[in-house]
Amino acid sequence: MLMKLAGGRIHDPANGRDGAVGDLFVQDGRIIADPGPGATPDEVHDLTGRVVMAGAIDIHSHIAGGKVNIARLLMAEEHRAAAFATPEPCGCGGAIATPSTHVTGCRYAQMGYTAAFEPAMLPSNARHAHLEMADIPLIDTGGYLVLGNDDLLLELLASGAGEEAVADYVGCMLNATRSLAVKAVNPGGINAFKYNQRRLNVDEAGPFHAITPRRILTALAAAVQRLGIPHPLHLHGFNLGVPGNAEATLDSIEAVEGLRLHLTHVQFHAYGVEGDRKFSSAAARIAEAVNRRPNISVDVGQIMFGQTVTASADTMAQMGNAGLAHPKKWVMMDIECDAGCGVVPFRYRDKAFVNALQWAIGLELFLLIEDPWRIFLTTDHPNGAPFTSYPELIRLLMDRDHRLARMAELHPDLPAHTILGSLTREYTLGEIATMTRAAPARILGLADRGHLGLGAAADITVYTDRPDRRAMFEKPDLVFKDGRLIVRNGVVVALTPGRTHVVEPAYDPKIESWMGRRFDERMGQRLAHFRIAEDEIRGGNGLVRHACRPGAF
Amino acid sequence: MATNDDVLCPFCGLGCDDLTVEEESGGLAVRSTDCPIARDRFAHTPPAEPPRVAGAPVSLEDAVRAAAMALGAAGAPLVAGLGADVDGVRAALALAQRLGAVVDHALSDGLYRNLAVLQRTGWIATTLAELRNRCDLLVVAGPDPAAFHPRLYERWVAPTPAFQNPPSREVVFLCGEPLDSTRAALANLPVTVLPGDPARVGDAAAALTAALPDPSRAVGAAGIAAEDIATLAERLRKARYAVVAWAASAFHGPHADLTVERLVRLVHDVNRQTRCAGLPLAGHDNVVGANQVCTWQFGVPLRASLGGGAPLHDPYRFAWDRYSDTADAVLWISSFRPEIPTFPTGKPVVALAPPGTAFADEPAVFIPVGTPGIDHAGHVFRSDTVVALRARGLIDRGLPDVAAVLTAIAAALPQEAAAC
Repeated sequence: MLMKLAGGRIHDPANGRDGAVGDLFVQDGRIIADPGPGATPDEVHDLTGRVVMAGAIDIHSHIAGGKVNIARLLMAEEHRAAAFATPEPCGCGGAIATPSTHVTGCRYAQMGYTAAFEPAMLPSNARHAHLEMADIPLIDTGGYLVLGNDDLLLELLASGAGEEAVADYVGCMLNATRSLAVKAVNPGGINAFKYNQRRLNVDEAGPFHAITPRRILTALAAAVQRLGIPHPLHLHGFNLGVPGNAEATLDSIEAVEGLRLHLTHVQFHAYGVEGDRKFSSAAARIAEAVNRRPNISVDVGQIMFGQTVTASADTMAQMGNAGLAHPKKWVMMDIECDAGCGVVPFRYRDKAFVNALQWAIGLELFLLIEDPWRIFLTTDHPNGAPFTSYPELIRLLMDRDHRLARMAELHPDLPAHTILGSLTREYTLGEIATMTRAAPARILGLADRGHLGLGAAADITVYTDRPDRRAMFEKPDLVFKDGRLIVRNGVVVALTPGRTHVVEPAYDPKIESWMGRRFDERMGQRLAHFRIAEDEIRGGNGLVRHACRPGAF
Repeated sequence: MATNDDVLCPFCGLGCDDLTVEEESGGLAVRSTDCPIARDRFAHTPPAEPPRVAGAPVSLEDAVRAAAMALGAAGAPLVAGLGADVDGVRAALALAQRLGAVVDHALSDGLYRNLAVLQRTGWIATTLAELRNRCDLLVVAGPDPAAFHPRLYERWVAPTPAFQNPPSREVVFLCGEPLDSTRAALANLPVTVLPGDPARVGDAAAALTAALPDPSRAVGAAGIAAEDIATLAERLRKARYAVVAWAASAFHGPHADLTVERLVRLVHDVNRQTRCAGLPLAGHDNVVGANQVCTWQFGVPLRASLGGGAPLHDPYRFAWDRYSDTADAVLWISSFRPEIPTFPTGKPVVALAPPGTAFADEPAVFIPVGTPGIDHAGHVFRSDTVVALRARGLIDRGLPDVAAVLTAIAAALPQEAAAC
């Protein structure tokens, strides 16, 4: 079937188009060249005056896996109160901070998103995460594998293994778990918490294995580089949420010595200790460091006000936050000698100084980091806010008056503690298209997503250009997934399955004999059973491999 | 005679994946372990038999049609048992949604005693490999869980902890006697038995919690002397990584969830001093997997009504044995064991179970199905909820799997406008 999307204003930064009027042609789920006047499209959409972008891609959103299900269980009140957040009578669950798989897919698609990636897939929980992701309709998914607190890696480092052996181990684990990237969560810290350590400094040797977090961080960044994985090491840094943690964040940037590094939910890691409240914004310092170093990228992890739940592998940090739980209940788990999980419900209050400043710090980062190819729009769903708050966040970035009006409603001491009021930048549509489409695809290595060039997957979103950017991005007119119309005027019109994106880096299989013994001796599980077969992913339909390029990054 | 090595056992939720299973003329035989559950379940492989409607053998197509008729006509159907792999559970939930049914797992009693506490207060928990490699003090609360999980000690407690230095471990049984097989498995470890009243293990947990700040002021509870409570409280404080394990399905009496709550409180308070984590054990017949799938698909756990509008979870009202009084039709799924409960008379029962299942009352429709891990590959979850495993198929008896049968029943229902 040939489809023509006629006359829209195309924002496609990957191909240098910034609002120029043009036509798009789609056949067999792909964007093709203009077939010429002889061809008759089977379907034509007149998009005159509309804004056309690729489907949006969320690079960091906790949408599947054990901690998400624990969060759903813990947030029982939300599932009663917001059981029916949709007008359509689908009966497939509800909720906002902890939506069911069905609601997750529907809400993302209704906002014009066609992919979202689970950024914290534990090795031991990977099979569960994949089973769950397969039940999320409409959007593509994939998982980043959490390494850096796994006793096997720490043993390997403690044994003095070289860079090559570490890369082989990481390569084997990525293949076995069908992952897209490597995530490190408070490297060394989660492991140390299992030995009752509640803090671990970057240069402090951890318990038992006696490895410093710095060593783990640099070893993983080097392994990612060596294996040629498109996405840089995805780092959830040190001392999450602790005033003064900006020093450790800046230190992490230095530690990788020019290797590529992605700092995730950096808002939670951009705190200083200045001022009368000993809690201050370090956004300007972080932004300055990021602006100076092209090897660094970040996503923000913006907080928005209201009830949510925080879910993280970082048990060390979450145990420290547990006293702030709202409602007052929380779950911690030590998991399978590879990581952990901490689930703490939380309500961000606009009249609380700390929460208001967190909000401002996030926005300062967005506005001070100059290159939209290296900063990504996230709320660390659901930790900073549910992903459904993205349209409001986009409005805050694009509309300074709205930003100032909102700021005036917050804690009265806020203006004295933030430079937000003086920042005049307003994001353009092109910059939004970059940070939510082109840049995420590029930094994940998804060559045929996030843009509208020839051969790209026809994941396309069409908006009416409204001055109220929240209204505009909340409800696109049309959303196509792989060329098929899935949303019209905010209503899901077709339920299609998504795909699962993975990398399969080459590694020396010699490492498997060492790993096999360790799995037998430690994990009580055969390495062969740990490995997820190709036909386990979406029943064998929908695995998409992306090329690794050793030496290219 | 074929020998299958490294076979994964899907039955009790421990996820043992080291079995040797031989194929004999009469079926399968486990050679590598004495585990009574593995031996019994793998050995139960009678040949396929035809489906039955009202006791008479029929084709699969006819049985599917009869099942669709019986279930489609119901106003308040119950879809339960849910003893199936992940694909089977998915198909059951999809069908239940079409029917507007209440869903529950046969063995959810123990699970819900735990989940009730998780939902009320949260908890600190751990997984089997953490137990094996880090735990230096294991406290087993209540009746010995080895009755439900026979290889618990052999595989997860007897091995030397790899990630503690020195690698010591001791085991304390609180308000419960270890089984003989447990004593044998723990022969090389220091074992203390505090044989209090198993029905009052919650009291013992509360006494321990109270004693933590100052063990010298401990009081006795549940038939355990004050000095024993004091000693155990002291050991919990000094442990590097203590684990408190229990099998909630073994707790008797009403409100057994309150026993779990007191154990969870104990674990919580030990963490003020050192590290400690709970290990709730409940995992037979993939009850954990069934609950996981239901939770991710609907946002609420099992014991839920899909009877229109939002999924509604009610652990009391929608417990299958209570709701079976109200229901006017029952679909019972038990692919892991040839057992089926007796239901109140006067309502059609559609049963999916292995061949050779004995019925007290012949169901309206019986469709023999294969067992995951014997007849076909399937995903099951381990008891600790984190690890999902894929068991492989070993033999072909020509039996359909649960997912295929339920998908066929759903397709045979009267057509209606598709939901979103």
